[in-house]
Amino acid sequence: MNSYRPLLLAAGAALALGACRPNLTPAPYSKANLDFTRYVAVGNSLTSGYADNSLYRSGQMVAYPSMLSWSFSRMGPSDYKAPLLPGESGWPSPKLILGTSTDMMGNVSLGPVSYPNQLDTTGSSINIAAQGPYNNLGVPGIRAIDFLNPFYGLLNPYATRFFSSPNPLKELDRINPSFFTMWLGNNDVLGYATSGGVGKSSGGSPFSLADREAISSTDYFADGVDSALKHLMADSNAHGAIINIPDVTSIPFFNTVPYNGLVLSRQGQVDSLNFAYHTTGIKFTLGANPFVIEDNTVPVIHRRLAQEGELILLTVPQDSLRYAGWGSIKPIPDRYVLDAGEIQAVHQATSIFNGILHSRAEAHGLAYVDINAFLKSLAPGILYHGVNFTTEFVRGGLFSLDGVHLTPRGYAMVANEILRTINYYYGASLQMVDVNAYDGVRFP
Amino acid sequence: MRKHALITAALLLPTAAAFSAGYQLNLQGLRQLAMGGGGTAMPWDASTIFYNPGGLARLTSLQAYASVQFIMPRVEYLNQTTGQTARTTNATFTPFNIYVGGTLKGADRLGFGVGVYTPFGSGTTWDDNWTGRYVTQSIYLQSIFIQPTLSYRISDGVSIGAGIIFATGHTDITRAMPVQNSQGLDGHAELKGKASGMGYNIGISLKASEQLHFGITYRSRVDMRVKDGDVTFSNMPAAIAGNFPNTSFDATLPLPEVLSVGAAWKPLSRFTIQLDFNLVGWKAYDSLAFNYADEVNGSKRTSSPRLYQNRIAARLGGHYQATDALAIMLGAAYDPTPVRDGFVSPDLPDANRIILSAGLSYKLAKSLNLLAAVEYVSSEKRQATYDEAAFGGTYQTKAITPGIGLTYDF
Repeated sequence: MNSYRPLLLAAGAALALGACRPNLTPAPYSKANLDFTRYVAVGNSLTSGYADNSLYRSGQMVAYPSMLSWSFSRMGPSDYKAPLLPGESGWPSPKLILGTSTDMMGNVSLGPVSYPNQLDTTGSSINIAAQGPYNNLGVPGIRAIDFLNPFYGLLNPYATRFFSSPNPLKELDRINPSFFTMWLGNNDVLGYATSGGVGKSSGGSPFSLADREAISSTDYFADGVDSALKHLMADSNAHGAIINIPDVTSIPFFNTVPYNGLVLSRQGQVDSLNFAYHTTGIKFTLGANPFVIEDNTVPVIHRRLAQEGELILLTVPQDSLRYAGWGSIKPIPDRYVLDAGEIQAVHQATSIFNGILHSRAEAHGLAYVDINAFLKSLAPGILYHGVNFTTEFVRGGLFSLDGVHLTPRGYAMVANEILRTINYYYGASLQMVDVNAYDGVRFP
Repeated sequence: MRKHALITAALLLPTAAAFSAGYQLNLQGLRQLAMGGGGTAMPWDASTIFYNPGGLARLTSLQAYASVQFIMPRVEYLNQTTGQTARTTNATFTPFNIYVGGTLKGADRLGFGVGVYTPFGSGTTWDDNWTGRYVTQSIYLQSIFIQPTLSYRISDGVSIGAGIIFATGHTDITRAMPVQNSQGLDGHAELKGKASGMGYNIGISLKASEQLHFGITYRSRVDMRVKDGDVTFSNMPAAIAGNFPNTSFDATLPLPEVLSVGAAWKPLSRFTIQLDFNLVGWKAYDSLAFNYADEVNGSKRTSSPRLYQNRIAARLGGHYQATDALAIMLGAAYDPTPVRDGFVSPDLPDANRIILSAGLSYKLAKSLNLLAAVEYVSSEKRQATYDEAAFGGTYQTKAITPGIGLTYDF
């Protein structure tokens, strides 16, 4: 037996040495040659953490730049400060939450409702520039062309509350960034789209208030982007990423109300509508019909049936559709519809602006994040750790209750796509975020 | 806006990849455990009721056998992309074995007995907030097999045996649901039920010479049927709770058939080497379906593919009778995973396993023997995905299992 004792002892020792516990450690991450000590995020509402039709503190805390900065800080010192609001209720207007609402006929339904609790916005408009400088310079509503307006800070309450001067370019100088992300240009198209294309379809100027609902001028756009980049790259060693403009017509804001949402269930409804329209060539049948929309190019009646592919805005009043004859007896007003020509204008502008962003990324040696392609790839649905995300309104889990901005999980998906692109472009391997660690849409 | 069905049905309900290699315990006898898990050729004691019913008629007396094992599995998960690691919570499970069987004086051609043993009995619980919570939160499975057995010694060299298996067990599976209530808490689902099934275990024991022994056994597949298990949802937001009624479910979990062949060789009168091969019919585990009494999120059935592969495990062991009272055992085994890449779920992150074991038997009194064994199992680090949930990472499993038991010869 003596000859076996050493064997047993050896086995016992191996077990005692903790061999009974697995120990997995990640392979080392790398930031390549990037310097994240002074990170700046420039952008609009998407960068600020805006969601549910407003800006509020917990949303700002899970803005994608905050997620990026977490990843950067894993590789060494990386400061991050955002101009946080004091409250949760949303400022200046209350945010939306998912709740039940009762329409004028007493029907109860689940949908976005205004934040019902006590507002906690006290102190929101106090200027907090002195507590800066801020790493997150996201200003809801700001366009690329607004960087050409030295007084822009006076026009936008979100800018007013944390800018140290009215000139947005000056704000970019406060931190001389070693690394930056720039996601600008969405609002150069979005203002036109979300107002149903009632503004100018090109040539919007930063100096005209009426042009806030126009598509920006291509020249101003290029100038705005160039000016911002010049200030962001004052340090010649600065690196960064330019994020492009998603096709706004693919977001739930434009894809939740169907073009043929006029459902006629009784022959009587069909007959009376056909009688009312009998001189016009417009015909209705039982079942799903296209909505009647306003179109001033049609002589005399100024209306026509919506065509497949035309988009009805999420903001169209549901009560008016259901009970006031909108979309049938009365046309849906133009400001709630993006017709084929307007969609074309949006696509064309998006493509031109993205071309400019891409060329600037190449010229300056910056990573170019094609978030447009990424969001399109999510449309059929994407599975992540047991959760099926889609771009559908409310149930898709990616878009917040305004149908334009993202949920924290949606922002996490964006943050990971940005990190992926930075990793690829700069040969780094930065840590990504766990999408499921963040909120999706909360249900009552 | 309508009340929407929120999640695709396929993702909705807990599925269990569970009855797999990691849950098949192979702890049905301490001597065999100490020798890498093999024991088809040599009828060491009454536990041959499990390892080879044909060996029962070769026992020289009637024996009572009882043992308990303390299995402490540890699983770790790593996601290289996010840098997250997760560990299962520490837990100790106690599968047990009771056998009474052997031969009576004057009728020693006939062996008979009954075994009560736990071929599956383990579980995995992950942290509440871990990133895979929508895939699995916890799973626990237990089964008890009761096997009355008869064996007959045809000649000095050949004996045969057969037993009928009555199986009973229960399962408890939980997972988070990907819907959040107004506090941001996930919904939660639990599937809990009793299972039962039947099967058989047959074997031939061959004694070619005093030095050389062989055995062949076949344990049939046992379909464990869960009838009227409980489906319970909690924390579901009121607005959609109507889509997720508490209801009942039926499911069938096939436990695979196993064909074993073994050989034992005694080069010295006090020393035995044995080698076993188990061909395990995991292919039976093709898919896993749950049927619900009521529609859950618009569906009465979920099914997910498993596509397991048949596998052969190899087990090598040695037994040394050091003194008349003391015997020492050592063993090792290799148990390859039946789970393909793309089907590795965190409820059972299976991988190829290497097993080392040791043990001893000590005669406490004339008819009373003490058995003790310890087994160490380590899986390879396996990087794999579970495509059905788009979940992946690197896994490693380790388990240490001490066991203790007594035998008494009548």
